Amino acid sequence: MSSPTLTKGEAANPAPSSKEPAEAPQEAAPPSALARFLGNPKTLALLVAALVVVVSALVTGDGTWPRSLTADVESPLNDLDNWLVDNRDSHWIFLYFLLHISNFAQAAYDTLLSLLESMSYVGVIVVGTLIAWAAGGADRSRRALRTGGTALAVFVVCGALDVWEPTMETLALMIVSIILSALLGALLGLASGVSDRFEKILRPVFDTMQVMPAFAYLLPLVLMFDIGVPSALIATVIYAAPPMARLTSLGLRQADPTALEAATSLGADSRQRLLTARLPLARKQMMLGLNQTIMMCLSMVVLASLIGAGGLGSEVYEALGALKIGDALVAGVAVVLLAVLLDRTTAAAGERLDDVATTSFSRAAAQLRLAVWGGIAALTAVFAAVGTAVAGDEWPENWVVDFTNSIDTAVNWFTDHLGSGIPLLGGTITWAEGFTEIVLNPLRNGLQTTPWWALALLVAVIGWIVGTWRAALTGVVCLALIGWMRLWDVAMDTLSQVLAGLVLTVVVGVLVGVLCARVERVDKIMRPVLDTMQTMPQFVYLIPVIALVGQNRTGGILAAVVYAAPAVIRITAQGLRHVDPAAMEASNSLGATGMQQLFGVQLPLARKSILVALNQGVVLVLSMVVIAGLIGGGALGYMVVRGLSKGDLSQGFPAGIAIVCLGIMLDRLSQPAAKRSRD
Amino acid sequence: MSETAEATAAGEHENAHEHGDQAGPAISVRNLWKVFGPKADRIPRDASYAELSQSELRERTGCTAAVRDVSFDVHQGEVFVVMGLSGSGKSTLVRCLTRLIEPTAGSLEFNGEDVIGMGADALRELRRHRASMVFQNFGLLPHRTVVDNVAYGLEIQGMAKAERRERAAEMVAKVGLDGLGERRPGQLSGGQQQRVGLARALAVDPEVLLFDEPFSALDPLIRRDMQEEVIRLHREEGRTMVFITHDLSEALRLGDRIALMRDGEVVQLGTPEEIVANPADDYVRDFVRDVPREQVISVRRAMRPAEGAEAKTGTEVAPDTLVSTAIETVARTGEHCRVVEDGRLLGVVDHASLLIVVAGLDKDADPEDAAPEDGTEREVAAV
Repeated sequence: MSSPTLTKGEAANPAPSSKEPAEAPQEAAPPSALARFLGNPKTLALLVAALVVVVSALVTGDGTWPRSLTADVESPLNDLDNWLVDNRDSHWIFLYFLLHISNFAQAAYDTLLSLLESMSYVGVIVVGTLIAWAAGGADRSRRALRTGGTALAVFVVCGALDVWEPTMETLALMIVSIILSALLGALLGLASGVSDRFEKILRPVFDTMQVMPAFAYLLPLVLMFDIGVPSALIATVIYAAPPMARLTSLGLRQADPTALEAATSLGADSRQRLLTARLPLARKQMMLGLNQTIMMCLSMVVLASLIGAGGLGSEVYEALGALKIGDALVAGVAVVLLAVLLDRTTAAAGERLDDVATTSFSRAAAQLRLAVWGGIAALTAVFAAVGTAVAGDEWPENWVVDFTNSIDTAVNWFTDHLGSGIPLLGGTITWAEGFTEIVLNPLRNGLQTTPWWALALLVAVIGWIVGTWRAALTGVVCLALIGWMRLWDVAMDTLSQVLAGLVLTVVVGVLVGVLCARVERVDKIMRPVLDTMQTMPQFVYLIPVIALVGQNRTGGILAAVVYAAPAVIRITAQGLRHVDPAAMEASNSLGATGMQQLFGVQLPLARKSILVALNQGVVLVLSMVVIAGLIGGGALGYMVVRGLSKGDLSQGFPAGIAIVCLGIMLDRLSQPAAKRSRD
Repeated sequence: MSETAEATAAGEHENAHEHGDQAGPAISVRNLWKVFGPKADRIPRDASYAELSQSELRERTGCTAAVRDVSFDVHQGEVFVVMGLSGSGKSTLVRCLTRLIEPTAGSLEFNGEDVIGMGADALRELRRHRASMVFQNFGLLPHRTVVDNVAYGLEIQGMAKAERRERAAEMVAKVGLDGLGERRPGQLSGGQQQRVGLARALAVDPEVLLFDEPFSALDPLIRRDMQEEVIRLHREEGRTMVFITHDLSEALRLGDRIALMRDGEVVQLGTPEEIVANPADDYVRDFVRDVPREQVISVRRAMRPAEGAEAKTGTEVAPDTLVSTAIETVARTGEHCRVVEDGRLLGVVDHASLLIVVAGLDKDADPEDAAPEDGTEREVAAV
């Protein structure tokens, strides 16, 4: 029952304990591996803790957090909710502050949406394609044409799939939130890049924000702004600004020191240095930040359909709720296409920045670029004025291809024929049920029957082993908070899903990562797949999973594995590939076989990045498992989702906090190694 | 090589005329200290620390003295070379000159004007107009064209765009990058990039050019080209230069005077000839051991008084003629040379006296070092 926790604890230690005796065999009779293993006080403590967990679980058979140590958090939250509903239109804090923000957000969104609508589909397609083409370099190069072509294809397909309107809603929300979060991010990044004090304040804030699951941002905003576009927009801006801020600050701090010294030596004051040297030198990093910010915006905008953001996300959400897989898939495809479009366009713009350093300046090209952007602006104005008159305001009916029915048929056929009842093999649904029964249920029951104090002890010991007493303390406090809010059993359910998902993710991720790092052909195939997977919003992953295994906990875990694996694969492969080439060459020259090299050199040297991958996996798996509450994952995720969509704060808020607690606990238990490598 | 050395010498004379009107040294450094570490300023004040070696100092105080009590003058129009191995404090020293690194103690004057006491504005003016620097790793801005990089210093001064671009274009031509003005640094070779760095420093027409190991990152052939370029520029403009290098041959080629640094201190300051012919201590001696002496030492050190009829015959040479040149003359004519200055006979050199220099047997050289090394013999054979 506590086995996955145990293996995780061991994972941090095995390499040295098993390797060292083998490397120093000549020194006067080294103690046996087992003796060394037991001799380490930390491993001993872990064993004792694990033993306590098992024994106490068997003896007591009931592990719920004691009722006497809890508090009623629902009633005060209900009171608060009622107060908010009563005062949202009258209290001064709303009238003079929050309402302005939400009105601005709503107005910006409305303006943009009406602009897009008045341009009609023709205008949007033409201007969108031109912008992508211009971002790619505005010439006849392959990159410019490819970027423009991608945009054209994406818009046309979105129209043909009959999701033009929700696509425009999403696009309008995206544009506003991208502009705002990029601005906010750039300003914060500028501040923390220039001032050490700001950096010191902002850094831990960003670190914590990175750990928080996306929808955790929605809760407090719903509290303040109610359900609707303003909440969605503001949550998106807050969620997506950190990468821009982080990378801006990084770019400013990493700017070539010689160039900066040269600027100083020529007598530049700090303002001149910032404007003429530091900022231009940070452009590449800032572009990277913009790309990440955009992808996070998309992810959040789609997810924000839970709180009434509309657009493609709500198409997916509603279709999932009604089990209309065809509709969900069509909207999902549109989301993916939008993701591809935005990613390719910003990536192309980023590549162009690289090119600048290796091409001569040409006046003609510069003038042409200016003319192109001017033309785009003019075209936008023209279409906005006359677009609907020329092309009508809706995507023509007869240009629509309806896939939903055929998809539904295909999914039904799949569930009937491959889902279950295949002789000997079973079928995907049978497998899912098996996984639930053999792995998930025992794991959940085990966690739930383990006494809370035994579990806290285990968490403390792992925290102490992996990091410091501070990690141990944080972990225990998080657990206690969950118990205090009367969410112990539900949280254990979620935890069991996260642990199962995490183990699968790490196994799959490390295996594929090793393959990618060692077999060039696999890497070549995987790279674009991983690129695309990492740009897709979380929501989209749920759709195919439902088709495959139906609505249950296993589905959620499968989605989590698929969602989290790319990051783990990538970090593992990168870590393996960046192993000191001299060490690799040395082992080659000693005649090591591929396996010897992998286990003797590559994996031990890449240990740090595998631990970083584990840490990333924890965060990603948790955020997905929670969203899987939508499709039958139950537990905390379901409470949050329902709390959000029904506006029922007394349920959603504590559950959301419990999830954040779980997230922080798991992050701390897997992080210190990552932190060390960062220093 | 001898030709360039002569050229440098010739250049020096010209400069002396050009800058004759300015009295006093271009840069005057007195008791300059730079100490890194906690409470750095107590180190220069306390004489008891002065005796400690670098490692003892670090052990005792946690501080590192990168520059220790350094004093020297840079004369108007000369090429002043600071040379030393890495970690000897030479790069710190040159940065102290414009306070890119703030000195811990000591005084520093630029044409008689106190630099240490300057406020931020005055210091910026100094950096903008009077001293500019060329860096080892170029420090170019990759997103700007060559011309805009060269114009960067002028832009910082606030010069209008058209004017500064015109000026920059001149400089680009001057360093031999004609036609490459619209390129970006990424498209240039290392040598070309450093020419851009040089042009950028020249564009602001500074009184002093500071070079921080400018050619260390270049491969040997390009490095030689760039050294020629610096020699040419110095001959044409006679600008005062402070040149940091760890390369002894570079120091000997370029320097009118050389300050040799070790562990933050100047161990010897003198002309290349003085340093090679008359090393101050074992460290310097070790340093210059492999230098082909005949290419640095002049006949002034090799000559002996004329005997009998010798004063009447033989080719006339100037006293600062290099021994290697004299060897050539002696070998060709088959007789001794007369060393003559302003029509006055100073002495003569013949086969024996020249060979003594090549072999390192002259009176200043270390007795232990007297045995001629294989390399030196081969040099003679080559000549």
